[in-house]
Formats: sequence, C-alpha cells, structure tokens
Amino acid sequence: MEYFLFIFKSALEDFKRSKMQTFLTSLGIVIGVFAVIMLMALGLGLKKYISDQFEALGKNTLFIAPGQLLQGGGFGTSSILGTRFDVKDLQRLQRVRDLTAIAPLASKSGRGKGTIKTDYVNIFFSSSDFFDIAGFTVGQGRLFDKTDLDKKAKVLVAGPKIAEKLYGTALQAVGKKISIDNVNFTIIGIIKSKGGGGFGGPDYDSYFFGPYTTGFIYNPEKQFIRFAVKTNPDVNLSTVKEEIKKQMLKRYKEDDFSIVEPTEILSIVNSIFGIMNVVLVAIASISLLVGGIGIMNIMYVTVSDKTREVGIRRAIGARKTDILLQFLIEAIALSIIGGSLGLGLAFVGVLLVHNFFPAYIDLVSVVLALGVSSLIGIIFGVLPARKAANLEPVEAIRYE
Amino acid sequence: MIKLVGVTKNYQIDEETVFYALRDANLEIKDREFISIIGPSGSGKSTLMHLIGLLDKPTKGEIIIQDEKISHLSDDKISSLRNEFVGFVFQQFNLIPKLSVLENIVLPTVYSRKRINYDPEEKAIDYLKRFGLYEKRNSFPNKISGGQQQRVAILRALIMEPKLILADEPTGNLDSKTGKEIMDLLKELNEKEKITIIVVTHEVDIAAYGKRIIRVKDGRIEK
Repeated sequence: MEYFLFIFKSALEDFKRSKMQTFLTSLGIVIGVFAVIMLMALGLGLKKYISDQFEALGKNTLFIAPGQLLQGGGFGTSSILGTRFDVKDLQRLQRVRDLTAIAPLASKSGRGKGTIKTDYVNIFFSSSDFFDIAGFTVGQGRLFDKTDLDKKAKVLVAGPKIAEKLYGTALQAVGKKISIDNVNFTIIGIIKSKGGGGFGGPDYDSYFFGPYTTGFIYNPEKQFIRFAVKTNPDVNLSTVKEEIKKQMLKRYKEDDFSIVEPTEILSIVNSIFGIMNVVLVAIASISLLVGGIGIMNIMYVTVSDKTREVGIRRAIGARKTDILLQFLIEAIALSIIGGSLGLGLAFVGVLLVHNFFPAYIDLVSVVLALGVSSLIGIIFGVLPARKAANLEPVEAIRYE
Repeated sequence: MIKLVGVTKNYQIDEETVFYALRDANLEIKDREFISIIGPSGSGKSTLMHLIGLLDKPTKGEIIIQDEKISHLSDDKISSLRNEFVGFVFQQFNLIPKLSVLENIVLPTVYSRKRINYDPEEKAIDYLKRFGLYEKRNSFPNKISGGQQQRVAILRALIMEPKLILADEPTGNLDSKTGKEIMDLLKELNEKEKITIIVVTHEVDIAAYGKRIIRVKDGRIEK
C-alpha cells in the first residue's frame, strides 16, 4: 500500500512540475469525456422529458388510432395514410361502459390574426374530456365545456406561449377575438403552462384548443385522427381494451385500427432514443481514442526522458514489474485527471443548458467517465511502460 | 562471497566484428575485503564492475554469488540481490532529481520484498545526523554540493545493510579533498561495519586504499 502511495506520489509530483504539459496531454481526454458525458446527459434528459410527458397521461389512458400504430417494434403506417375515424366511431366508443372520458382529436392549422401579430397557429379540436386526459388546468378565464360543445360555440382555449405571442400577455388574450382562416373565435381561457415542448412531444403551450363540434366547420366529413380515452381504474385495462376492440371490429378489420397504451409508445420512443444515443456516444468516443494516442505519445517521451532514472531504480533493486507499474500509474493518473476535468466541464455544461433543456448526469455516467479514462490510461500506457520495464539496466544507467 | 569463473563479455558490433569488453576473467572476492580495480579507461574495469554488481550478464562463464550460480536465477531474483546484497555508488552520484535527499535514501526499501526490521526513515535520519546532512534532508539533489550528493548516495547504498558496496569512480567528479573524505568513509565502512568494498578507479592513489589491487587492461585481468 505504502509502495503504491509512493509511486502515485512520484507521478503526481511530475505533473506539478509541468502543469501546462500535463494539461495539454490530457486535453484530448478532457474533450472526449466531456463530449461523451454531455451527449449522455442530453440523451438522458430527453428520455426523461418524454417519459414524464407520457406519465402525465396517467395509467388508465388508451389511444385508439387508425391503422397499425405500432408495428414490428417501431411506428407503423399510421393515420396519415390509413382511414380516419368519424362521429359514428365516437358513438360506438360511448357505448363502451368502462370509459370515463373520451376525447376525439381533430387538428387544424392556419393563419391566426391576433392584436399584436398574425402567426401560423395549430388548433386541437376535442371534447371537454381532453383537458382531463391531458392533465391541463385552467390558468386564466375558463375551459370550454359540454354546453359549448352542444352549441358548437366558436370559442378557443389558448396555450400561454401562443397567447403571449399574439396578444402580448396571456391575460390580455382572454376575451379577445381571433380569426383563423376567416372563422372568428373568442378566446375564453388560457391553460396553465405545461413547460418544455419542442422535443418529441408537441409543445402544448403553443396550441389552441376548441370544441370538436365547432371544428367540423373545417372538417365537413366530421373525421378524427384518433381518440384518447380514460378507463375506469377499477376495471382491468386489457378487459376494456377487449370491449373497445369488439365495438371497433363491428366496422373495421383487425388491421385497420390499433389500441395502444402510452407505456407501449414510451418503450418504443425509449428504444429509438437509446439507439440514437449509442450512435452519438460512439462518434464522440473517437475523440477519446485520439486522447489516448496523445497519452501514449507523451508516455514514450517520458520513458526516454527517464531512461537513466529507470537504470538507477533497477540498480538499487527495482524489478521489471515495479518499473512497469510506475509508468502505468503515471499514464492512468494522467488520463484520470483528463477524465475528471472533462466530467467537471460536462457538469458546467449541463448547468448551462439546464434552463432550456432537461439534461442531467447520473451516477452511471460518472462511473463510466472515470472507468473509461482509467481504461484508456491502461491501454495506451502499457506499451510505453513495457518499453521502460524491458530496458537493460546497464544500458539505461549509462544513458545520457 | 563472489566468484567469477571464465567470464567473458563481448558485443557484436556488426556481422564481422566482435568487441571483447572482458575476456575469460577469473576472480574470487572474499568477505570483508577492500579491493581496488584499476585500469585505464576502456580497459573493461567498468564492465567487470557491472558484472559483479549484477547489472549485466556475461556472454560466457559463470558468476557465483554466495554459492548460487546467477545464470540460474530469474530477473526478479537478481533484482532482489541488487536490492539486498549490493549497494552501488557511482561517479555521477545518480540520485533521482525529483526526490528529496531523504526520499532518495529510503528508495531501496520501497523496492524491497524482504521484511525490514527497522523503520527506514528513522534509520535514514539517523545516518543523516551522523553524516552532518540532517539539515539537507528535504533538499533536492541539485541544491547540494557534489561531496554531499556522494555521501547521500553512500547512505542510499547502506540503507539495506548490504554485504557489498560497489563504487565506480566514486571520486571522479569530486575535488581531491572531498574525494579523500569519501574514500576514508568507505574505508571506515569496511573496517567498522565489515562491509566488502570494491572500488573501480583509474587513479593510483585512490586504488592505494585497497588491500588488494586488481589490474585490468584490454579486457583482461592481469595476474
């Protein structure tokens, strides 16, 4: 133990004497570890963000979509190509006993004219159950309700971001008129911000929401892109799934629709991001390789600088393994210093992007960073160290 | 204690030329001897010393240390012998520049596989006090004089309590007064501590310290 401390101390003392050289040598590792950890942190953050979004939907939520939504482990051909649902399907779903909330979904994009600005806007048309299923609560004004649906009222609820964009502040938007493709709506309320957005899931803060009955203005065929439903928590989810399936099979073939749980979508999203992350990290690892070669290079220089020292140590009784360990530990220390600096830099990086990107560093990343950098030290240090260990004592001690 | 039997050391310079650094050397060194090996530069005396000190291996012949043929020993075992049995003193002192005086002296104990029944640092401090170098214990080799460096080197050679000290031109880089001090010290170690001393030199008055003088010329030991 004392022996290792001694060797480790020797290595560190060398670094003290040449701080700049130590820093430059380990710079490759610094950059490599920084890139790998940063990418892992971004990937982790993204994954967590998406799973949070789906978890907000709750355990008793199902999606019913036309076509095969999930196919062969990925997203299959979905609503874009397949059939669309319509009001008849809505009526069928209403016959399923164990559904506590049903939200049919139709969407519309167009130019929305606000008081400050005219911008391209997106509207989701749905039932009042939508707010419950998506977990939205009212921020200002009110949400639309059954009466609005029955009256086909031309009202909209806005996300706070789009309201701010078009009217200055969310509060000012309430009660204002908006014209979207020549149809005039009244904004009756603003939802509380759901935050985030832009990565994977839609940014609900930038959407408008309206009663689906009103939405038929744009949609004379009265079609829906999908349904989101909430099931009775006391009833087994797969039983409800069967009930829905029975209703839908009356009209469609088995392949024409799919009933999926958010967790199923989540696992696919996770696997896609998993693969993406592995590829990115693999690319970033190339810089680790370059860093390792840098360390190998400087270690060869160190060995030839210290040839005489090796000779002296051998003369007073150091074995080949003692010399090997001395240089190996030096290489490992060098690359762990780089790894720690890279990790520190990645922490700073995560703090900097934290406000607009939910990145975070987990324990696995820390262990990986230090583990990989010591591994690089070993791999790229072993050849120079072996060269030092195999020097002939008598030749080494005469080396000038 | 040490026997050289028909020891030859040669180097293949190119395909046709072979350089004989030492030819058919036979030598026996007994316990507590003080031997001077003298010869002009290039005579093979350093090669002889490196062979006795187990820093080098003979091309032909056998070196026997305490009844053990070294050709039968592993590299690790030979390293241990260098560590425990021999202490080296060199012309260029050969202290490790980045280690302090004290660290240099205890360095052999770091590499020792033998159980040491004393505290190396205490012993080193003890030595330093006796040699009047205690104040310099934390200095680095380049901050002390040549004579002081050579004394530190001798202390490093002593720390493992060796049977043999090999000194290769120990006074070569010192003025004559300091050189004499170093030689007196080696003499004292031989007489009081009963350590076998071998000094390699090309100076006659240094060689005169030896109780036995071995002359080397053109790679041969002169009878």
